[in-house]
Amino acid sequence: MSTTTDVNVPSPTPPGAPRVSIGQRLQGLGGNARQYGIFGALVVIVLLFQVLTDGKLLLANNVAALFQQNAHIMVLAIGMLMVIVAGHIDLSVGSVVAFVGGVVATTMRDFDAPWLVAVLVGLALGALVGAWQGFWVAYVGIPAFIVTLAGMLVFRGLALVVVGETLAGLPSSFIRISKGSLPNVLGFLNNMDVVTLVIGALAVAAIVVSQLRARSALRKHDLHVEASGLFLAKIAMIAVGIGILTVILSFSAGGTPIVLVIVGVLVVAYSFLMGRTVFGRHIYAIGGNRAAAALSGVNTRKVDFWIFVNMGLLAGAAAVFTTARAGAAIASAGQNYELDAIAACFIGGAAVTGGIGRIAGAIVGALIMGVLNMGLSILSVDPSWQMAIKGMVLLLAVAFDLLNKRRAGTQ
Amino acid sequence: MTDATRVPLLSMRGISKRFGGVEALAGVDLDVHRHEVVALVGDNGAGKSTLAKMVAGVLTPDTGLVEIEGVPVSIPTPAAAHALGVATVFQDLALCDNLDVTSNLFLGRELRDARGVRDDERMEQVARQILRDLTSRIPSVRVPLAHLSAGQRQSVAIARTLIGSPRIVVLDEPTAALSVAQTAEVLMHIEGLRDLGLGVVLISHNMTDVRSVADRIEVLRHGRNNGSFDARTTGYERILGAITGAVRADLGVPPVAAAS
Repeated sequence: MSTTTDVNVPSPTPPGAPRVSIGQRLQGLGGNARQYGIFGALVVIVLLFQVLTDGKLLLANNVAALFQQNAHIMVLAIGMLMVIVAGHIDLSVGSVVAFVGGVVATTMRDFDAPWLVAVLVGLALGALVGAWQGFWVAYVGIPAFIVTLAGMLVFRGLALVVVGETLAGLPSSFIRISKGSLPNVLGFLNNMDVVTLVIGALAVAAIVVSQLRARSALRKHDLHVEASGLFLAKIAMIAVGIGILTVILSFSAGGTPIVLVIVGVLVVAYSFLMGRTVFGRHIYAIGGNRAAAALSGVNTRKVDFWIFVNMGLLAGAAAVFTTARAGAAIASAGQNYELDAIAACFIGGAAVTGGIGRIAGAIVGALIMGVLNMGLSILSVDPSWQMAIKGMVLLLAVAFDLLNKRRAGTQ
Repeated sequence: MTDATRVPLLSMRGISKRFGGVEALAGVDLDVHRHEVVALVGDNGAGKSTLAKMVAGVLTPDTGLVEIEGVPVSIPTPAAAHALGVATVFQDLALCDNLDVTSNLFLGRELRDARGVRDDERMEQVARQILRDLTSRIPSVRVPLAHLSAGQRQSVAIARTLIGSPRIVVLDEPTAALSVAQTAEVLMHIEGLRDLGLGVVLISHNMTDVRSVADRIEVLRHGRNNGSFDARTTGYERILGAITGAVRADLGVPPVAAAS
């Protein structure tokens, strides 16, 4: 009836000059603006505290500590984001962390297992716990809120059973996971740890290469690519961001924290899983319209099940980080972790109704919480007030996002 | 219709289904041939959507035989239906608002490249091609469905039926929520499907739509066949009579016979 505006599949239109309406460009920018907004908020909060703390926030050792102290929340936020995008919630992760942490510590202390075996036991146990909860959610059909509320009690109880008294005296090789840094094998350059610099350079190179490859794949198929100016600006900003972080970290006492490398690998892997795989798309589809996904042939039960197995696995990883950082298994470990992870997801732009949210957003949300924690601690703000301030930030972040969406919806 | 002697694309015989005490379908027969649009009409609760859901693999019949190109089949899941070449557009548009057009088109049957990785580029290419063939007015295949109008969403739902080259397309009330112009567009799509050689089952309340696009009209009443009519020659009143139960002239006559 009318010509479409996106007809340039076999047409001789030169690549790089796709016909896109102005409205569409604006729409694209609007969507991206919201996505960049959360990064902007992080930068603003960092700069704010940098000023308020007289430059103490971005001291090299503080930045390294920021990652070491928040690694477990970032790992939990990755799993929680997938749970939330699928329209579920997991209230049990804090208790699972305590339970798995207790078993990991017991494995090393009472059975003299090497730390690697203990870590593997922890991950396997976490996955098993996830499979247990996934079974009730996916195959019995009990709402995740109920299943994980029960799990919160069950696994806290089991944690108390396993960790009768605090299990301290864990091997230093295990504690290194959370407190250690990559060994300085390449020496120093002007006091900067060369290993850190090399990793930073490799990270930037990898991002540039992958972005260029994605762009050329679109070109090859004659599909619309974003304007080259915007593309270059985006890459430049990412490179500068990583560059600054790398240089700061290279001045820290240890260089690159080991947990940062682990979290970095997980972020890349899970971003790929959510953004570029069939499984990831099915998670978004289930969160968007569960019935439609099922009618389209998506095996919703299987997807639900594996989301919870994955959440359990990551809770196992978080348990390893937490136990290693404390140097001991404590029955009350992991308290409120589920709330921190959920808050990170929502600050990072996940929708309460499911279907929307990104791994990167959840990580930024976790970092915002971490920077708030650290900044307020440096300012020696009373912990009670810290909690109140974090609560307000969560509320305002979600309110801001909602208002934004409402405005976009009424256009 | 001209070749009723050929093996039908889809043949359903003696289909029955009960929901608790309610008899939704009782011994219903339905045939669909290539290059044929069969309209399934009837009052609310006549069993039209129940029958459609059986073809789509959402429901399974209690008794009865389903054959596709002469081969007896069972369709336990939507995925199985798709594997058999059945595509369905459901009444309550089975689309995901948070996903973009391409993702919706390929939902549940994503293309993968040689390494088994999701092939977004090829899917977007095919999506553009299909939407262009349908002369739809979708601004961009990267727009989330939430940003599209009812008519555009319907176009996407119908475009879905062209993914994976199906043999049979089932449309459940495809024009129910549409404006006049959008309805005309959808009817054009349906004719396009017939021209491609597909068998189409069209469920509708709208007699004007049905009579303008269908080749044959099958009436259901209280879960039973209540007449089969040639859409071109049968008068509006007769069909209405069969729907409301005022006319029962064709009761007991096999639907195919009435069409010849």
